[in-house]
Amino acid sequence: MSEKLEATAKLYDEAAVELDRAARHCEVAAKHFRDGEVPRGAAHAWAARGHLLEAESRLDAQALEHAGRSQPQA
Amino acid sequence: MSRGAYLMSLGLVPYAEALALQRSLAGAVSQGAIPETVIFLEHPPVVTVGRRTETELELHIPEDAEVEIAETDRGGKSTFHAPGQLVCYPILDLGNHGKDVKRYVRDLEEALLRTLAAFEISGERIDGLTGVWLTRSAVPGVSLASGGGRDSADARPVRHSTVQRRERSAEPGSARREPHAARGGGPPRKIASIGVHVSRWVTTHGYALNVDLDPAPFTEWITACGLEDAAFTTMARELGRPLTTDDVRPSAIDAIADVFGLELEELPADEGSGLWPQPIHASLASR
Repeated sequence: MSEKLEATAKLYDEAAVELDRAARHCEVAAKHFRDGEVPRGAAHAWAARGHLLEAESRLDAQALEHAGRSQPQA
Repeated sequence: MSRGAYLMSLGLVPYAEALALQRSLAGAVSQGAIPETVIFLEHPPVVTVGRRTETELELHIPEDAEVEIAETDRGGKSTFHAPGQLVCYPILDLGNHGKDVKRYVRDLEEALLRTLAAFEISGERIDGLTGVWLTRSAVPGVSLASGGGRDSADARPVRHSTVQRRERSAEPGSARREPHAARGGGPPRKIASIGVHVSRWVTTHGYALNVDLDPAPFTEWITACGLEDAAFTTMARELGRPLTTDDVRPSAIDAIADVFGLELEELPADEGSGLWPQPIHASLASR
């Protein structure tokens, strides 16, 4: 595998990790909201949002890389 | 000039959950997704070991003690948390506060000193040691021997928990009642501990202020902070009356806000989606 492809795969691995973390925080947030523990639920909701943005930044990086290499037909 | 920041008062939170939360919120702060955030909470009984902990030397937890042992990425050595201790985890971007970790730790100490002063307890720094200490009777006329707070004899039961629990023996209530060092003008008594972690200039961990808990585990279960022969105390013990973390939290919030120039906005505790609009969102959007 080329180094570029490995770098691309790594970006997606990192995005997956961030999305997993976001999912876990969402699950915990849901539980706390159901339990009426609003501040605790909100804290996890914000934590999830942070991970989503991290994942988005990885995917954006790959999108930019792809856009830089593409050669659209006129 | 004050900066907007979130304030989260989360109640009793297991250590592992709080650690995961801090790390994730630190990422969110680092991304600018949320403003700087200050968390106040309490932990169920847990011994935490930091990067500099010498486990073999510092941990001597009795075999039947049901207490969590958790590894952390903070600086410092081992310490003990339990209900009755007010824990503060500021998730701050030190880019806004001088990019100086030593200054940050001094500022945390300052916040603790101001919190104690609100209760007329004179805390002190000691050169070469982090945390806040008492070297003389905190309140004139109050005998430490009488003890108004939670002591070994009435320790709260420790809870069973899940993170890397190790069973050894000891019940917290069986802790010896040592003559308090301060009664005879003995060594300084530690009332608050500090341990921090900084990554990409964003802070996690923070301080733990002993409000009203049995201080015996600090010496009987561990060599807290790696300090042999150290004495530990609580605000309740020094004041000679019971005290709750709810009593102390408002002063602690004011102190943190003043020292770090933060305008703290508490997340509502009533019903909501968790991501409801707040005034601070407009300032974030305009960055």
